[in-house]
Amino acid sequence: MVGSADRARRVAWVAKEVMPHEPAVRRWLARSRVPFDQIDDFIQEAYCKLSALTSVEHIQRPDAYFFQTVRSLVTEKIRKARIVSIETFTEIESLPVLSDDPSPERIVAARRELAEVLRLIGELPARCRQVVRLRKIEGLSQKEISLRLGITETMVENDVVKGMRLISGALKKSGTVDVVRRTLRIYGRARLRKRD
Amino acid sequence: MGERDSANEIDEAAFRWVALLDREGDDPKLLSDLQDWLNQDPRREGAYLRAQALWLKLDRAANASEQDAPAPALSRRRMLVGGAGAALAAAVGAGAWVLSGGRNFDTEIGEIRHVPLPDGSVADLNTQSSLRVTMAKSIRRVRLAEGEAWFHVESDPSRPFVVESGLVRVRAVGTAFSVRRFDHGAEVLVSEGVVEAWVSGSEAAAVRLAAGEKAMVQERAPILSETAAPAEIDRKLAWRVGKIDLAGETLSEAVAEFNRYNQREMVVKQQALLSKRFYGVFRTDDPEGFAKSVHSSINVPVEITRDSIVIGR
Repeated sequence: MVGSADRARRVAWVAKEVMPHEPAVRRWLARSRVPFDQIDDFIQEAYCKLSALTSVEHIQRPDAYFFQTVRSLVTEKIRKARIVSIETFTEIESLPVLSDDPSPERIVAARRELAEVLRLIGELPARCRQVVRLRKIEGLSQKEISLRLGITETMVENDVVKGMRLISGALKKSGTVDVVRRTLRIYGRARLRKRD
Repeated sequence: MGERDSANEIDEAAFRWVALLDREGDDPKLLSDLQDWLNQDPRREGAYLRAQALWLKLDRAANASEQDAPAPALSRRRMLVGGAGAALAAAVGAGAWVLSGGRNFDTEIGEIRHVPLPDGSVADLNTQSSLRVTMAKSIRRVRLAEGEAWFHVESDPSRPFVVESGLVRVRAVGTAFSVRRFDHGAEVLVSEGVVEAWVSGSEAAAVRLAAGEKAMVQERAPILSETAAPAEIDRKLAWRVGKIDLAGETLSEAVAEFNRYNQREMVVKQQALLSKRFYGVFRTDDPEGFAKSVHSSINVPVEITRDSIVIGR
């Protein structure tokens, strides 16, 4: 499925309908005292579930679906864990209230994310920014960029990876930065224990 | 618990795969290596999907910056490129084109639209087509999101004119050609000059097409180019003047062609008729006229209602 047209549609759906809500899901996990390193794991596993779905056409509320997917992953983990904070459990059980309307919240999330991505592109280191801009805005191939800038194709590829890493990292932070302090304070107390 | 890669390590590897595939195109060996990597940990599948979505998101961001120009970082740099004076002059000269960085053009079923572009080039949009035109400093870029368009390109060697149709790319300097988008590729017809066509990521395999040549460029197959029959290109571009020019097309092809331009669907009931061949020039908006001439030339019943045209019994 990796290279198929279906896959391309799935990627576009995730980019447009799911990813803009990732910061909200991360905030909710952080509020629920899920440790940061595990938040990343849950998010990756949730995307994996989305990747494995045979179809997403029946999903009317991708944001709610994303929350539910993460919640079931977390509750499953909690049930398997030996020591569990009751607090975590009740928080994770209470999903944020999502209205059924074609919600402005969802549109806002998408716009906010787009503005954020644009800002982040602008903040990339100079050459990295130039590579991303030439690739994405001017539509040059990596090879064409290497000729244009007089650098090797490997350098171009590395800049692409770097650009994605920096933007991805910043997007993750934008979801959790406002709850960092609170979570750090209770981090040790409510930490989920892994099974041996 | 055994040793696990951290989420960050997995993310990093996923970005690497996306960058590598973006560089090399969909190489089968690479795709099978990727599949092996993905199979080893379910989190990798998730990280890779997210990485692909993120990469796609940068496209959307790029488009948004062209549309709304809300991004201070980008627009400031754009202003600096030619100095404030040049930017001002350009803004006065080309108005919305410079300020917005690009424009969309769409057509409905049956609509054909003639669009003069600010560089002196011309785009003619066929029925149900969607085009986004961006005039950047070093490239004139046109995205064909759907349908078909013909371009007459004003020569400007310093600014190549590139049409993107899915993964297919067609580059011209000064020439006239059309691109029609299909699900997994695009058909390119050249009426003047020379163009180069390739699939994104495999530019080395680009083919050159001269006037009178056509090619079917498929996203995952070798490019098939051939010399078109005399007058075939003109015939195939008859839509520009609102005509369908048939020179021995089968009924099945002709009906599909009329259905591109009309809400009212034309259907052929008898399989045996589908391979019959037809000649003649018809208006794109006159499927009824075509159906009547089918009726009179091969004497089959034709049922014409408001919603449909049924040929055969």
